[in-house]
Amino acid sequence: MKDFFATFKHDTWVMPYLRKYKKLLALTLFLGLMTFFCGSALMFNSGYLISKAARHPYNILMIYVPIVLTRAFGIGRPAFRYAERITSHNWVLRIVSDFRKKLYQAVEKHAVAIRQNFQTGDVLSLLADDIDHIENLYLRTVFPTVIALMMYVLIIIALGYFSWWFGLLMLVLLGLVVIVMPLWSVLINGARETQSRQIQQGFYTQLTDSVMGLGDWLIAGRQKDFYQRQTKPIAEIAALRRKDHQFQWWRDFTIQLIFGVVCIALLIWSSFYWTTNSASSNWVAAFVLSVFPLVDAFQSVSQGVSEWPSYQRSIRRVNALDTAPTDDHDQTVLTEPFQMLQVADLDFAYPGGHRQIFNHLDLTLKAGEKVALLGPSGTGKSTLLKLILGDLQPTSGDVQLNDVPISRLQNQRAQLFGVLDQQPYLFNTTIMNNVRMGNEDASDDQVKAALKAVELEPLIQGLPDGYDTIVEEGGARFSGGERQRLALARILLQDAPIIILDEPTVSLDPITESHLLATVFRVLQDKTILWVTHHLAGVENVDQVRFLEDGAFDMAGTPDELYQTAPRFKRLYDLDRGREA
Amino acid sequence: MFDPALFKLPGMRRLAVILALLAVIEGLCIIAQAYFLSVAIVGLWHLHQLATIVRPMLLFALAWVARQLLVVVKNKLMYPMVERTSGDLRRQVMQKLYKLGPSYVAKTGTGNVVTTALEGIDKVQTYLMLVVIKVIDMMVIPWVILIYIAILRWREALFLFAIFPLIILFMIILGYAAQAKADRQYEGYQRMSNHFVDTLRGLPTLKQLGLSRQYANNVYQVSEGYRKQTLAVIKIAMLSTFALDFFTTLSIAVVAVFLGFGLVNGTIALLPALVILVLSPDYFLPLRQFASDYHATLNGKNAFAAVKKMLALPVPTDREQLGTNAIHWQADSTLNLQNVTFSYDQHQPALQDIQIRAHGYQRIGIIGASGSGKSTLINLLGGFLTPTPGAGKIEINGQPVTHLSQRAWQSSFFYIPQNPYLFHATLAENIAFYQPDAGLGAIGRAAEKAGLTDWIKTLPDGLNTAIGEGARGVSGGQAQRIALARAFLDDSRKILLFDEPTAHLDIETEAELKKTILPVFDDHLVFFATHRLHWINQMDYVLVMDHGKIVEQGTPAELEAHQGAYVRLRDEMVGVV
Repeated sequence: MKDFFATFKHDTWVMPYLRKYKKLLALTLFLGLMTFFCGSALMFNSGYLISKAARHPYNILMIYVPIVLTRAFGIGRPAFRYAERITSHNWVLRIVSDFRKKLYQAVEKHAVAIRQNFQTGDVLSLLADDIDHIENLYLRTVFPTVIALMMYVLIIIALGYFSWWFGLLMLVLLGLVVIVMPLWSVLINGARETQSRQIQQGFYTQLTDSVMGLGDWLIAGRQKDFYQRQTKPIAEIAALRRKDHQFQWWRDFTIQLIFGVVCIALLIWSSFYWTTNSASSNWVAAFVLSVFPLVDAFQSVSQGVSEWPSYQRSIRRVNALDTAPTDDHDQTVLTEPFQMLQVADLDFAYPGGHRQIFNHLDLTLKAGEKVALLGPSGTGKSTLLKLILGDLQPTSGDVQLNDVPISRLQNQRAQLFGVLDQQPYLFNTTIMNNVRMGNEDASDDQVKAALKAVELEPLIQGLPDGYDTIVEEGGARFSGGERQRLALARILLQDAPIIILDEPTVSLDPITESHLLATVFRVLQDKTILWVTHHLAGVENVDQVRFLEDGAFDMAGTPDELYQTAPRFKRLYDLDRGREA
Repeated sequence: MFDPALFKLPGMRRLAVILALLAVIEGLCIIAQAYFLSVAIVGLWHLHQLATIVRPMLLFALAWVARQLLVVVKNKLMYPMVERTSGDLRRQVMQKLYKLGPSYVAKTGTGNVVTTALEGIDKVQTYLMLVVIKVIDMMVIPWVILIYIAILRWREALFLFAIFPLIILFMIILGYAAQAKADRQYEGYQRMSNHFVDTLRGLPTLKQLGLSRQYANNVYQVSEGYRKQTLAVIKIAMLSTFALDFFTTLSIAVVAVFLGFGLVNGTIALLPALVILVLSPDYFLPLRQFASDYHATLNGKNAFAAVKKMLALPVPTDREQLGTNAIHWQADSTLNLQNVTFSYDQHQPALQDIQIRAHGYQRIGIIGASGSGKSTLINLLGGFLTPTPGAGKIEINGQPVTHLSQRAWQSSFFYIPQNPYLFHATLAENIAFYQPDAGLGAIGRAAEKAGLTDWIKTLPDGLNTAIGEGARGVSGGQAQRIALARAFLDDSRKILLFDEPTAHLDIETEAELKKTILPVFDDHLVFFATHRLHWINQMDYVLVMDHGKIVEQGTPAELEAHQGAYVRLRDEMVGVV
């Protein structure tokens, strides 16, 4: 219980939305209540109808009202149910729209931390799943439970009206079904859920491990070991499922037993209360028969509530997101054109990290200059780019554009920097829309001109849908080199003065690479370029090469100079060209 | 509705018969329960004392408990079968996976394979648990009840009988209508539903383009559009549930009114009328229960079909044409491929007319542009792909084989790809993967030869540090060194297959790594696919590939002199266009 309230203590995701769209929510609950009311009333009324008819009333009009009511309830139940389903989905989907916007905004603030790798992709899908989960929380747990509770209260009040002791008895008996059993379920299930998740997660990790390393298993000839590894988790999962099922069977059995007791209690109560005369005894069948339609409604509560632990995890995760709005009161804009990018006396270490990444680093880039940045992996090339873009703050020292610290220019970033990285993201929409993202005001002709500049025109014209071809998820329609060219076209439209190239050719073969680099440096000839690269292909295109090693630059100069004077550069350059002793 | 494949499961027929018998008994219990409840009610209606209805009340209670117990018993009978079947399926999937090998995983995607083995089989389990009992209930219980009602009064029975197929007909028609509507909107619908994840993944790019903030509204709008479309589909989809609900409740109402008139006219007594009224919801109950889980069963059925499809995929047979022991590759051993062809889809050949004569400790470089078939060739040599049968021939030491997925052959080589997979285990276990019994001393020596010693010193637990996904990160260069350490540890495998091992490394790391790799080449047959040209200097034979064919082969000097495909490729690679 404490756990339950703790989950909602600083909740900004579930409770506020119960207040928003109040009317629609009230309507949903009302319709749900009416559904069960009509179901019960149909049997109640039918029981009364035939009991009364069995007294052979001299006039058919005597049973006219129950006849009409029977039909009304018979039609009412499905109609209400239908309406309830539509409104509840409508309500939930509205909330989902709000959720998505909110989640997006929360994640957007930390967009920097998201690298497009496998794992963060997973985290994002997980968050998206959480929203679906909360959607189910409403549909499968909250609505059925609230409706059943309302029905419960109504029944107790109605029966208490006739006789208080019987009302009290039903308060206890039905209370077992709608309150005690669900709590018991969630208690049992909560403990098992944690265990189950561990086993599932373990199996998942291990299976992924086995599948990804399948080639090694095969070549190593370790067939037996491979099978053996799966045996234990399979057995564990089976044992867990067995327990789960058994619990559910006996729980449902218990609930049914309670309803049997309710029936008998009703009969006994009726024998005292409704047998005073033959007119009142017509109500016996009505009361007893009205119990059966309730079984469904009340039984589903336990199942719904027992799913709570899995929802709880989702709620906690989204609540842990930082949803406070960003503070941008100290932001400014660069009024005069870009002249110089300056990194001065920069020190940097990751918070909590032991290693000093940069020591008194200096770098100046004048407008129009092109610099290639090299260094073994792990020396902080990517970190330097993040510092230059303002995604990270230096421990000491400055990063400035024309004397303005980059941290104050964050709102203007897209007008100052264009970035082409290893895997530029293409959205699952048309080529036109993807490229136009560089500048939303660009005309069709401008977009086409950009695509022509990056030499994609012939390819696109050959596609059946031309410029309106959908690029598919992650740009899967196109090859790596083509994706880079599409992204390059986008950057051309963006028209920022400084271009950051972050190993854009790392996953390309040398031929595609050399063609792409030729295009890049042709179309970006008047830009200022900072190019991080992992080898020396295309290095002739830059004015300056810098090698980063141990937090400082240890070689710098034009490619020609370095080739003449630095043996290390010469050796690497020759290696890259296939010339090696 | 009922998958015939289910009956092929071992023991299913017998179980189905038992379940059907139990369903008959359950039907009888339902009748008894309705009957005795009605007797009790009618007793009270006649203003009898409580004492007079004790007996029917107890009998009602007995029938009620018996009915509920039967539900549990049926589940308990069904469950071992379900558990065995899903356990077997899981094991079969894993065994099949091992036989299908990495090329299947590459084609299907790791995620899909894991999902099939895990969630897919979970769905199958749910499906088996739900569908068998529910279908049998639906085919038995209503008719038991109906027969009893017919004995009491044929008119109501006839009405209930007639309405049954009508309900199913309406549900099918409306189901199709909803499907058709959903299908019409499918494409846009799908895109909208994926839009959110797509946007989240593209966030860094949106930020670079300065669009990330304003995109929040776009997310909201697309989601609202999605809501409207979903509602339009739901409105029709829910109609089929509505039809079921409408006909069943209305039928009960109609039966009640029928009975009312019958009672007024005196053609029926209260007791049978009440029994019929109590029974009529139970008549529809199995149908409603089946319909409520229809979607779960549909998912399960599809998952079941997917699993069976995977299990039916062909796997290479004749894997022991060379026996089961590793080949001792020696200076005079030969591998001969003549006119070998391979195709992924039976139409377009991915490799054509491959001619290779490899012998002894040759170093064979394979170069070509991307898409020329280098990796396919390596995969064929590793036996991960099976060549087109009948075309060409393969011989190892003069002995013909139909493919290279030979156990003896696969026990004789190491395969080092661009990203060697590191298992979720300790560094020592990873190095000793091919030699699980190796001692720590030997592992340490292999690690030293692979140039890992300095790095290991920085690890908290040395060789016993856990690495792999989710544990300590390992750079690309170190991963290659770990793969090399495996080769150093096990010197009996004399063949090495490299598939672009340095393609993603920076030039300095590559230069360092090369120093470690070169000594491994001694006394080994090496196949080295690469597009880094400097490796060619260490090869004594080169295959130049283009569009799935070997367009030129020979020693580097010969190719140089020939001024053909090799020279053209090289020039293009270094940018001399």
